[in-house]
Amino acid sequence: MEEEKVSDSGGEADPSQLLYHLESILDSHPLINEVGFIHPSQFLSLAEEASTLVSASIETIAQPEDERVNTKLSGGNTPDMVFWNRDHKLGISTEYLLPLYKAAKNAFMAAVGRYNNAKMSRFHEESGEASVSGRSSSFKNFCAVDVMKHSRALLLLNSDFGTAWNYRKLMVSKEPHVANFMDELGFSKLVLSYSPKSECAWSHRRWVIKMISGKCLNLQEIVEKESDLVKLIAEKSKMNYRAWNHRCWLVSYMSSGQVIYEIISSRDWAGLNVADNSCFHYRSRLMLRMLEGSLTKQGPKTISSHDAEYYKILKEELDWNEMLIKRYIGREALWLYRRFLSIYWINQFVIDGADALPHSNQTPISTSEIKTFLDNELQLFYSCQVFSVNDFDDYRAQATFSATYMLWITRHFSQYPGSELIMELRPRDVQEVLEKYCPERSCLWNFLRTP
Amino acid sequence: MGELVADEHVKYILAVEKRKDDFESVVTEHLRINGAYWGLTTVDILGKLESVDQEEIVAWVMKCQHESGGFGGNIGHDPHLLYTLSAVQILALFDRISVLDIDKVSKYIVALQNEDGSFSGDIWGEIDTRFSYVAICCLSLLRCLDKINVEKAVNYIVSCKNLDGGFGCTPGAESHAGQIFCCVGALAITGSLHHVDKDLLGWWLCERQVKSGGLNGRPEKLPDVCYSWWVLSSLIIIDRVHWIDKEKLVRFILDCQDKENGGISDRPDDAVDVFHTYFGVAGLSLLEYPNLKAIDPAYALPVDVVNRIFFK
Repeated sequence: MEEEKVSDSGGEADPSQLLYHLESILDSHPLINEVGFIHPSQFLSLAEEASTLVSASIETIAQPEDERVNTKLSGGNTPDMVFWNRDHKLGISTEYLLPLYKAAKNAFMAAVGRYNNAKMSRFHEESGEASVSGRSSSFKNFCAVDVMKHSRALLLLNSDFGTAWNYRKLMVSKEPHVANFMDELGFSKLVLSYSPKSECAWSHRRWVIKMISGKCLNLQEIVEKESDLVKLIAEKSKMNYRAWNHRCWLVSYMSSGQVIYEIISSRDWAGLNVADNSCFHYRSRLMLRMLEGSLTKQGPKTISSHDAEYYKILKEELDWNEMLIKRYIGREALWLYRRFLSIYWINQFVIDGADALPHSNQTPISTSEIKTFLDNELQLFYSCQVFSVNDFDDYRAQATFSATYMLWITRHFSQYPGSELIMELRPRDVQEVLEKYCPERSCLWNFLRTP
Repeated sequence: MGELVADEHVKYILAVEKRKDDFESVVTEHLRINGAYWGLTTVDILGKLESVDQEEIVAWVMKCQHESGGFGGNIGHDPHLLYTLSAVQILALFDRISVLDIDKVSKYIVALQNEDGSFSGDIWGEIDTRFSYVAICCLSLLRCLDKINVEKAVNYIVSCKNLDGGFGCTPGAESHAGQIFCCVGALAITGSLHHVDKDLLGWWLCERQVKSGGLNGRPEKLPDVCYSWWVLSSLIIIDRVHWIDKEKLVRFILDCQDKENGGISDRPDDAVDVFHTYFGVAGLSLLEYPNLKAIDPAYALPVDVVNRIFFK
């Protein structure tokens, strides 16, 4: 079994050697899909884990060729390894990060300097100062390869080194083949594996997608994969604004069919992550996109069959949200999403006067539907007030959120026919809840209650 | 709870400025000019700006300027709008904007405005309302806001408004307190606050205050001292700051201090850094904590510095 020994005793390693080793590992293992920093003490447990796994597997299956284990131990049980590479995972010892980083940065900056000098000398040649452009062109390409190599190492140690990302963009722009752009998607994905909030890495992906959107036939497929990547990362990195922002950005590249597919397929994930406000915002973005250009484009008095379908999806979303609210007590994100859904439902589908649509029996919302909706919301509010004094904070939070939601409804629905029903909500009830559970915001409540 | 340990914070910041060789300072070297702005503004709010070497800092800032007119986060790094604003703000603190070739810097910024009024952060084209704020704030400090199409810039920001009253980084993006500060700040500087639904936005912003008194930046998140700046400055600009419990917030910020070694962290008992030290002290300044210089909620500079520029 091949063993990759990249080790050092006592932390006196030559930084440029460390960098060389890192880059060799990356070159010879293009399938590495995850990078992480590990404490020196973790090497020992990883080694033990691996040896158990290896001894078990030797008897059953042959070792895959790329499976290599770093298990050099010295001085009893003290591991002094720098890199750990197995099963397409690369671990870098935290003990060596500083010298490695400095070496990578110096190598990158030097490569950039050489690249820029080569560019200048080529410029002079083209102006007639020399005549060996063939040689200098290959030198420039050589420098470009160096820039790519060292920026890769640098960005795997510091994901927000903007200048290194910029030079990668520059190099790819000079050789704008789709394959080179796809490589950048792969590389930035690797960076996101250790730094899922890296703004530069997400921004790099958007740059790539913008660059290939005109020349790539399978853009829809790329957008789908991109959306899946966010889902994967959001699983490990909760409430990751940058990741979800990227997914929201993708929506403008989605076809209407894809938007509907996303709404339906991402519902279960949202149901399991009810505290992640970003995933509900993403759903609101999809809802808005779904209805964009449906009613508005065709004028308010024409209702297409699509609109009936969209209306149904929106109603289902309201029901699903209510189910979650009742199941997961006191979740702010769910109540805020309900605020969005309620005003979106009324703003999008109600049409001035109930006689606007004589030929349709599906949409828009009739006065009686508004009444049914408001009656439902009233019941929801009152159901949130029933709990014993021994119940925990979650129930008090639920009561507060339901009361503020009723303030929201009162504020946004009062202009519509059928809203007289809100008057059945005794203002005193809402006031009591808010004063009891959230007195510190009384200034705001007093303001919101005044019509 | 105790008091603000102002002297320790100044000592902490001056020590961080000099520290250049541990991993934390090395991996943040690409944004050192942001760090310098946070640190120096804090020192100024605490009334100790004379304790830094002005000449040395101004010379270093100027070395960060790129031939395009924009500034990088450090010497030899690519220019970006985010670093350009920090450079201008640092020079404003020292009353040294005159060392700039204003025409050159403003040309760099103006060239980054897009057809729809938005701004790219640099030549690579990422668009974000943060960059709109940076461009507007910077040009205003340089007294040449008229060089961009302000109307289009404002319309783009307004297009990023959500149904909850907040703003995101692009149209349709989730509301976030940091982005809200940028949008509201930019609208304030351009005299366009009438585009903001103050009651609706104020409602969303004050729901950021959690039981401990601290503010979060989005629903369901933990409180963090940095939002004492983003949320609070926005509430002040739209005149709704009386909707939150200010005393509780002061207590939360003070609880995040390292009283022995100086510095402020995101939450009580976490590790301190310059970023949170700035936002903590700036937040306390907005809350009118005694013996602090007043800070301007839109320009994020001490009020006397802003007045010096506009009422010279």
